[in-house]
Amino acid sequence: MIRARINNVRHETPSVNTLTFTWDHAVQPGQFAMLWMPGYGEIPMSFSSTGKEKAFTVKNYGLTSSKVLELVDGDYIYFRGPYGRGYTERKGRSLIIGGGSGMASLRPLINDDSYGIVSAKTRSELLFRHMFHEASLMVATDDGSEGVKGFPVDILKDMDISPFKNIYICGPEMMIFSIVKYLADKRPEAEASLERSMKCGIGVCDSCSVSGFQLCRDGPVFSVGEIANMKEYGHEKLSFSGRRVPVT
Amino acid sequence: MVNIERNLCGIRLENPFLLASGILDENGYTMKKVMEDGAAGVVTKSISKEEKTGYKTPVVVELEGAMINAIGLSNPGIDAFGEEMKLAIKCGKPVIGSIFGSLPDDFRAVAIKMEEFGASAIELNLSCPHVVGVGLEVGSDPVLVRAIIREVKGSVKIPVFAKLSPNLSNPGEIANAALDSDGFTLINTVRAMAIDPHARRPVLSNAYGGLSGPAIKYIGLRMVHEIYRETGRPIMGVGGISSALDAVEYMMAGSAAVQVGTAVGMHGRKIFKELTLQLTEFMKEEGIASLDEIVGIAVKK
Ligand SMILES: Cc1cc2nc3c(=O)[nH]c(=O)nc-3n(C[C@H](O)[C@H](O)[C@H](O)COP(=O)(O)O)c2cc1C
Ligand code: FES
Repeated sequence: MIRARINNVRHETPSVNTLTFTWDHAVQPGQFAMLWMPGYGEIPMSFSSTGKEKAFTVKNYGLTSSKVLELVDGDYIYFRGPYGRGYTERKGRSLIIGGGSGMASLRPLINDDSYGIVSAKTRSELLFRHMFHEASLMVATDDGSEGVKGFPVDILKDMDISPFKNIYICGPEMMIFSIVKYLADKRPEAEASLERSMKCGIGVCDSCSVSGFQLCRDGPVFSVGEIANMKEYGHEKLSFSGRRVPVT
Repeated sequence: MVNIERNLCGIRLENPFLLASGILDENGYTMKKVMEDGAAGVVTKSISKEEKTGYKTPVVVELEGAMINAIGLSNPGIDAFGEEMKLAIKCGKPVIGSIFGSLPDDFRAVAIKMEEFGASAIELNLSCPHVVGVGLEVGSDPVLVRAIIREVKGSVKIPVFAKLSPNLSNPGEIANAALDSDGFTLINTVRAMAIDPHARRPVLSNAYGGLSGPAIKYIGLRMVHEIYRETGRPIMGVGGISSALDAVEYMMAGSAAVQVGTAVGMHGRKIFKELTLQLTEFMKEEGIASLDEIVGIAVKK
């Protein structure tokens, strides 16, 4: 287990903090770690910064993450990784589409030539919107409190996507699924980072698998073309005990 | 030409490499994919009568050349598992149903369902080292082992394998109690734990788990050798196999076929194709035409 001391805790939204720490190890955007809160469990966490100073951006979901949100500057974090296959980084203009805390894994990809579609349930939960130039940002909220009332795919459908060399996507399953359906024949090389529950992170437990692929090893980043062929994605997943349940 | 096919109690295997129980075998799509990627067949995750949640995370510790797990036998229960069996069996290769329970009755009920779902054999998990009231706790009691195997053998037609623990203090006695089975699977994980020196506590939520991977190979070899010498029965050898030479050693100790678990995590599903290629290469170099020539060759009769 790797231990690092937190340099800084930043409150991003009412339910999301970013913890920065120094760890001299190569990490690709899109890769993740298994973050351990001793006594309170272990959860997969994307790196939201991949330079010399690394970061995790954590949303309050359950017991483990709520404990992580109690950490302050100078506290220790424990993790193992980095794991998985990250995004393919290519030069040129990119369109970054993120929903909710999904923006965390996309953050290392944002640069001066990036356009963003940032979405969340409501205005106060929009994450990392200020990293985009005002003129290159589009917003969607479920409740219409800012930007388009609806989903990123609604914005995408009204856009000319031809100027974008890269398209990167991360967010809730149904958000990604709707975009994959739309982009499958237009931009199969676009990439999305998928999310499933992960118990092991090292390709043995099968909890993260989608249509035979292990998100923790083969992914979490896949091309839209690959995802379009995964029959389980957007339809079914296994519960913590392995029971097949519908994705909602 | 060399022949790497195996016949395991009437089950035809296109190569000697099966996927071990508990690794990538909870989801039917995954089992199918592992077989498409080269495994001769799979052993399912261990399944019980009722749904079981398993332990909270952390459930694994990643080590150099080994891992420790305490997944806690999480499974959806045999009825729900039928759907996964259906998906896996589409591949056409053998799917062996691993089952566990506390009493002979539990084992019988689950075994009957596994056979209905199309399993090619049953593997009795008498050896999981980290869950109270099942696994090794059941599998170290010779009276119970005998009763379970009698019950299961009396209710299914497919072959039944008893998977035993390297932690047994009386392996010979248990193997003798299990002689009504068709063969053995050896070994399950070795009871172990990891402590984080900075956090000053056990890493696994359950504290204790089972050690697997290359670190346990020599323990597995010894146990296969011992039980083969004692019983001469068909054995599926498992424990730390990550190369064809490891598998060859296991066959020389008496394994008719082998299973691969932790190494699939370490090297990916592609390991099955690589093992098959390496094995074919080794047999050509050594002038071995069929694996029957080497099974048990290192055991004095
Ligand atoms: C994550 C994990 C889960 C396992 N779950 C089971 C199980 O449900 N039933 C069982 O009989 N063995 C289980 N095992 C034991 C393996 O089937 C195998 O006997 C052991 O890991 C040694 O083989 P290996 O070194 O190739 O992994 C599990 C092993 C691991 C690593
Ligand atoms: S999290 Fe266990 S296989 Fe991916």
